[in-house]
Amino acid sequence: MTKWKKDDHISDQNLLRFADGELSSRETSRIYAHLEACWKCRTRRLELDQTIADFVLAQRRLTQNALPVIEGPRALLRARLQQLQIVERPGLWQSVRQFVFHPRSFVYAGVIFGAVLLLVLVMHFGVQQVRAALIPNASLTPGATRTIRRDDICSVKPREDFYPIPATLAYRVFEKYRIHNPRPRSYEVDYLITPALGGADDIRNLWPQPYASGDWNAHVKDALEDYLHDQVCAGNVDLPTAQRDISANWIAAYRKYFHTERPLPVHAAFSIDPPWED
Amino acid sequence: MTFTHPNASVSFAGLDGDTLQRALKPSRLEEEVLRMFEEFRDPLLRYFLSLGLRIHDGEEIVQDVFLALFQHLQAGKPRTNLKGWVFRVGHNLSLKQRARGGRRERLHCHEEAAENQLHPQLNPEEQFVESQQRKQLLEEVENFPEVDRCCLYLRAEGLRYREIAEVLSISLGGVSLSLGRSLARLREVNAQ
Repeated sequence: MTKWKKDDHISDQNLLRFADGELSSRETSRIYAHLEACWKCRTRRLELDQTIADFVLAQRRLTQNALPVIEGPRALLRARLQQLQIVERPGLWQSVRQFVFHPRSFVYAGVIFGAVLLLVLVMHFGVQQVRAALIPNASLTPGATRTIRRDDICSVKPREDFYPIPATLAYRVFEKYRIHNPRPRSYEVDYLITPALGGADDIRNLWPQPYASGDWNAHVKDALEDYLHDQVCAGNVDLPTAQRDISANWIAAYRKYFHTERPLPVHAAFSIDPPWED
Repeated sequence: MTFTHPNASVSFAGLDGDTLQRALKPSRLEEEVLRMFEEFRDPLLRYFLSLGLRIHDGEEIVQDVFLALFQHLQAGKPRTNLKGWVFRVGHNLSLKQRARGGRRERLHCHEEAAENQLHPQLNPEEQFVESQQRKQLLEEVENFPEVDRCCLYLRAEGLRYREIAEVLSISLGGVSLSLGRSLARLREVNAQ
């Protein structure tokens, strides 16, 4: 970039680059400002334009009659291009070789490999997400209860009778849901009907509930279980209704009892049951 | 079947009718190259003449440039600044041809043809003066250093500074300096 002071005149080089749009916007603005005030530079700019115009005119006049008409050379080029296409049309094997050894082919191969890898990863983890849905599969986990009275349930506080689900049973639950190699601390192997509401320690009552399943996660269900236990013991909800509601669709039950379409913020981090760990 | 193009030694000997039909059907790429040929053939040829080539050598190089352009595009290579590309290839081929031919032919060998192109509205005396001025101008350009001359002719063909720099493989500053020098000299000639 050529430096010039405010009072300096513009050099021929800068005038030419200015005319060609080759200067930075800052330099262009400076030159505009200078040309507005400086007749000397404006005249010089016109002279430069005129000089180029004179030269172009002289050159055109000189060569105008010397150039043969274009039709013949154009027809010749067309014929040569056609001949080139016949000669250069590759055979099948040559085309395959060209494709395989072309540098771009490696890029394509890389992109395809990456896409396949991504697809495999998405399928692997995506299937787990789908299989471990928010609501258990009714055919796999219909829910199961043990014979118990309301007084028995209410004589203990929720979670007091909690015992961890044996690892072998937890693995059977994952297998049932066809989840291979479950990630630790990603699921809670949960009772559909919590033992605090008379749920049985039975594989038909267990399902892998993901933590990372948006708003309707295991934390929110734990909050519902505690609330229902309290309501049953307070006599506000009878036990079979509580069991039926939570096993049919626990999200609908949450909406029904908490009168909300979305989980309450206070329940988002509600956590009593431990996550599944290997 | 044998087909020989009337304008040149292009032969399609040994091809069956179907193959020839397919070959003669213009492809989109072929049409594109031919369109570019129509646009740039005259500017290229003028530039080659300024480099000192004879007309028929210049025509051959123009053909080579567009055959190379066809192959360039067919291979899927970059399409950015094809104008600069054809001038760069043409410039290099011209220099090779000139090296083979030995000497540089001066541009004003075409002056006889130019004499018939005087401005019809001028009277004979004015026509003579104009002719002399033009001759003097071009004579002066012939005496410029080669880089200055190339820059000037490329600029006259409408190439921008960056394109000229690419064609001649010099810096942008070099183009600027060269054109500034050439135009200053031409202004002096005009003033005289």
